[in-house]
Amino acid sequence: MNLGIFPGLRGIRAGRVFSLLAALFVLTFGIVVVLVVLDQQRVIESTRHLQEQTVPEILRYQRLARNLEQLRQEGERVFTATTPPARQQAMFVVMLVASHPSVLEHAQSAALARETERFLNDVMHRAASDSKAFTTYRDEWLRLSARLSVQVEDVSIQGVNLASSDLNEVSGAMLLARYKLMAALGLVGLFLLLFLFMLSRHLIHPLQRIDRVLSGLSVDHPSPAFEPSAMREIHAVEEAIGELHASLVQNEKARFALEELANNDGLTGLTNRRHFLLQANAEVQRGQRYERSLTVGMADLDFFKNLNDTYGHAAGDSVLRSLAGLMRETFRQSDMICRYGGEEFAFLFPETTLAEAQVLAERLRSRCAGYEIILADGREVGVCISIGLANASRCSLETALNRADDALYEAKHQGRNRVVLAPSGEQLLLADDL
Amino acid sequence: MRFSLFILLFCCLCRTAVAEVVELRIALWMADVREIGQPPADGLAAFNEALARQICRRINARCSTGNVPFADILPGIEARRFDLGFGNFLRTPEREKRVAFSDPIWNSSSRLLVRSDNNRRLEARFGPEIRPEKLRDLRVGGVSGTQQYAYLEHLAGRRGLALSGFRTMSEVLDRLGDGQLDICLLPMLSAYDLLLREAPGRFEFIGPPLVDNGLGGTVHIALAKEREPLRQAVNSAIAALRADGTYHRLLRQYFPFSLE
Repeated sequence: MNLGIFPGLRGIRAGRVFSLLAALFVLTFGIVVVLVVLDQQRVIESTRHLQEQTVPEILRYQRLARNLEQLRQEGERVFTATTPPARQQAMFVVMLVASHPSVLEHAQSAALARETERFLNDVMHRAASDSKAFTTYRDEWLRLSARLSVQVEDVSIQGVNLASSDLNEVSGAMLLARYKLMAALGLVGLFLLLFLFMLSRHLIHPLQRIDRVLSGLSVDHPSPAFEPSAMREIHAVEEAIGELHASLVQNEKARFALEELANNDGLTGLTNRRHFLLQANAEVQRGQRYERSLTVGMADLDFFKNLNDTYGHAAGDSVLRSLAGLMRETFRQSDMICRYGGEEFAFLFPETTLAEAQVLAERLRSRCAGYEIILADGREVGVCISIGLANASRCSLETALNRADDALYEAKHQGRNRVVLAPSGEQLLLADDL
Repeated sequence: MRFSLFILLFCCLCRTAVAEVVELRIALWMADVREIGQPPADGLAAFNEALARQICRRINARCSTGNVPFADILPGIEARRFDLGFGNFLRTPEREKRVAFSDPIWNSSSRLLVRSDNNRRLEARFGPEIRPEKLRDLRVGGVSGTQQYAYLEHLAGRRGLALSGFRTMSEVLDRLGDGQLDICLLPMLSAYDLLLREAPGRFEFIGPPLVDNGLGGTVHIALAKEREPLRQAVNSAIAALRADGTYHRLLRQYFPFSLE
């Protein structure tokens, strides 16, 4: 049953259709079996009729034929007998046979027998006075005798023909039974094909599709879409796959949120120190491998403790958040910004020389110096920032950060609100040598 | 000693077995008064006796036969003097009330019989298709107790027939021969037996053969009503005799034609 061909049947549980198909099969096959049994019954009844009624009837016809033949022979004896007693005996037998109920039952035979008897009787009476009577009537007797012979044949054939109707009935029933059996065979084949088709369409194909979908199930792909299945069980599995996909997407979101929480600073939204060190390390290694310029920086808010003490920690937090926003606006997309701890920030400028980084840092410092931060209570506060920069293209990240920190310290030392560059590696080596 | 005991035991068993063989007393209808009490010579009575012996053999019984007049057979069976009656009995409702019947053994019909010299006269008077019910003012005869006699009896009063009944068929023929009877109604086959012994052309059948009014049909062996097992045994024996061809061999032996 192709439910696609019969849209009205869609939604019927395919399992139920399987049961229906099986029940229909059993019913149809049962009906065919009953029909065949009925044919068989017809054969049995015809055979019984043949045995119990037709065969005795045939025997009666055969006996009648024999009696008529006997009549003819005895009639012949009446003509050919040489002695009166022999002739008389033959005549008696003619009379007996002509009077026999088996002959009388068959009207045509009875009439002919009676005619024969009367003819012979008449000839015998004439013979009493006319010695040539038997010769005179010989030809007439031969004609009568021939008619008797024909009657014998007719009766025999009539008897045999009685069997034909029974035998025709038997062969008809057998032929019908054969057709029915062939139809039953065809029906079994058809049901089997239909069953296999249903199995393939509603069970095997959906399972293969589910297998394919499950192996390709990913958060990167949209939720798999299934054509509505006629098998409720398959439909349930397909729905479960949809739910599985939704839960995968949800998990991915949660994982992403967790990652955000783990990598970013909660207050400013900037990368935290741990994540910055991981990313920066990778960037430093990459830059050094390709011999690219790379600069790191450290920044510290000037007089942040005083600000906290004067305006409170909430104001401090607000200032830090505003400053983080300013940094994001000022620096490029590719630059890494991190809250290193407290009011301290760290930067990494990929593909950037110390001089280029200085321009960027100077821009931040100046923007910061002219930036008035509006607090929650409406008050305005101004902050300034000290920045230390160091070249990271020749040394490890840790060393570079230490040197940037040193440069920051130097900036603080020089009076704050300024950018200080750490001396390059060669300069350091030279200084060490001096 | 042990051997003698064994022999004794064996003999006792044999005696018991022999004692179990049934003895059947069989009544045969004699057509000729001279043959009553004598063994049948030939013809229908001899055929009946041979058939009776064959049946007895099939049902493992010993036969003792006796020739009796027709009218004595049915009362004899009712009184349990005979076990089986071979009287060529046609099956009629009246007889069914008195005795039971076996399956048919052959078919019979009846016919009117006259002396040949009376034939023309009677044909001139009653026509060539002369029938018992057309007869009027005649001396008629039959064998007492037979269907033919019963039918004549039934007609006699209305048609002014002088009916005489006789114990045997030979007596009927004698009276017909000496002119004391004008016509008689007899069963064909039984009459055939006797007519063969008469001078040729002395008697003659007239009119058509008769099977209606209980004058023809199947012929059966009579036996007592309460002897159903015996009836079934006899029927089985008849079927077996037909099946193995014995019955037809007997027919051929006693008659130059088939009775069936």
